[in-house]
Amino acid sequence: METNWVFFVAMIFSVTLNSTISDVINKNLERTLDITSQLVKTTYKLTVEETSGKPLKDYEFIVREPNLSYISVKDGFNKKVEIEEIQENGSNLLKFNLTFSEFSSKQTLLIETVSTKNILAYPSHIKQNDKQLVKFVGSLYLYSKYPTYAQKTNVILSSPNILSHTQAKPFLVSSNKIFLGPYENIERLVDEELVIHYENQSPFLTVNTLGRTIEVSHWGNIAVKESIHMTHTGAKLKGPFSRYDFQKDGRSGQSAVKSYKTYLPASAFGVYYRDTNGNISTSNMNLLRDSVELELRPRFPLFGGWKTQYILGYNVPSYEYLFSSGNEYLLKMHVIDHIHDNMSIDEAVVTIILPEGSSNIELVTPYSIKRRQNDLIHTYLDTVGRPVVSFSQQNLVESHISQFTLKYRFSKISLLQEPFLVILFIYIIFLFTIVLLRLDFSLTSHFHKD
Amino acid sequence: METMQRYVSPINPAVFPHLATVLLIIGTFFTAWFFVFVVSRKSTKENTLIKELLISLCASIFLGFGILFLLLTVGIYV
Repeated sequence: METNWVFFVAMIFSVTLNSTISDVINKNLERTLDITSQLVKTTYKLTVEETSGKPLKDYEFIVREPNLSYISVKDGFNKKVEIEEIQENGSNLLKFNLTFSEFSSKQTLLIETVSTKNILAYPSHIKQNDKQLVKFVGSLYLYSKYPTYAQKTNVILSSPNILSHTQAKPFLVSSNKIFLGPYENIERLVDEELVIHYENQSPFLTVNTLGRTIEVSHWGNIAVKESIHMTHTGAKLKGPFSRYDFQKDGRSGQSAVKSYKTYLPASAFGVYYRDTNGNISTSNMNLLRDSVELELRPRFPLFGGWKTQYILGYNVPSYEYLFSSGNEYLLKMHVIDHIHDNMSIDEAVVTIILPEGSSNIELVTPYSIKRRQNDLIHTYLDTVGRPVVSFSQQNLVESHISQFTLKYRFSKISLLQEPFLVILFIYIIFLFTIVLLRLDFSLTSHFHKD
Repeated sequence: METMQRYVSPINPAVFPHLATVLLIIGTFFTAWFFVFVVSRKSTKENTLIKELLISLCASIFLGFGILFLLLTVGIYV
């Protein structure tokens, strides 16, 4: 009788435990892995079901890959799903708690992630004429807290030259695509590696530091200056570099970066591209309808491990980004802007210089940033200094190009401070002249005839 | 945000170079007048202080704005 009772309690316990965890299943998953560039772009189309028929409120999504840069989640009706990171000590997994806006027993999730530094050159050193081969290590199945009923993965590669890949049947290789699956009834938390070794000649350019300075002038101009340190982070160049081979042989230095394109806002003017030596003349600017296309060619082709640094600056008229009502102003600009396609920025530091006399500064950013201390900067015709708002963020990609808003107060009278400073300076010189002419510096007294 | 208007400069940036030229010419004229006036003064005892102050004030106002617009023209957005 007693054993029966214990058994009964155990039954109830297991039932309650089960209802919290294992009633949720991943009904179907279609995953697309885009590894054509240096970034790993993954899209998940996930159908989740609560088998007991209860409404599903939240779902735990685990990201297995390191260096996750960007994640966006939408539900089947293209509505935003609330996303919250679960902090957990001692694990290198990123867990997100997704809360649905509508409760139903069946939910569809559209998840997009971008991660950096997960495609590594293999071999890590190549000669000038060698092809750049890379290795991608990911997970074959969805690493999930819930069992997955069916899943398929489509991998898009940069070239049909695949040296090896994980042979998990069923799979199909066609040109530069690998179709993995469907795999059925995968238990929860199954961790299986997916390794693909293939040719990838796309530019592996990493922006190490981006210093973006936005200087607002109420005389109608916003000056943007980007100071960029860049490294080719693909396979490092081994052995000598032959300029002759590079110029003559088309197959030479395919992974080297000769030039790339930067897109600036359509209203940009006064563009400059320079480094410590001065202007870099090998650049072209094309005015397109909705942007300004800059074709930048560094002073030397960038091979694996080579670095370059430069400053790119331009002006934009204030009416594009600055709004006002009375003494209240609102600046709306991109946190970061396009540098090259499929870019990856290790660290970006954004500095916004406001006109002298601005107060009540409020910054709203589209994603979390590390705010730095407010500062003062002294440039032309300043007295107390211009207020500087500065913040930084690490590991950014193209998906992070979105707008911040900065509110501040500025009185229009302060605009006249600068001309008055110049006027005062010149008037003091005149007064000095007037006084000087009235003084008599002669040693002996002269008597002039009037 | 909805009630806010796009901010345009109080002076159209397209006229900055012309404004700089005109203001600097007028400022230089007043400066020249000031120095000619001061040097051609017959005696130090003549009471011309008010006139000197006024001419130099005009000169400094025109030169001051002229220099400001010159800075804006060349791309130093103060």
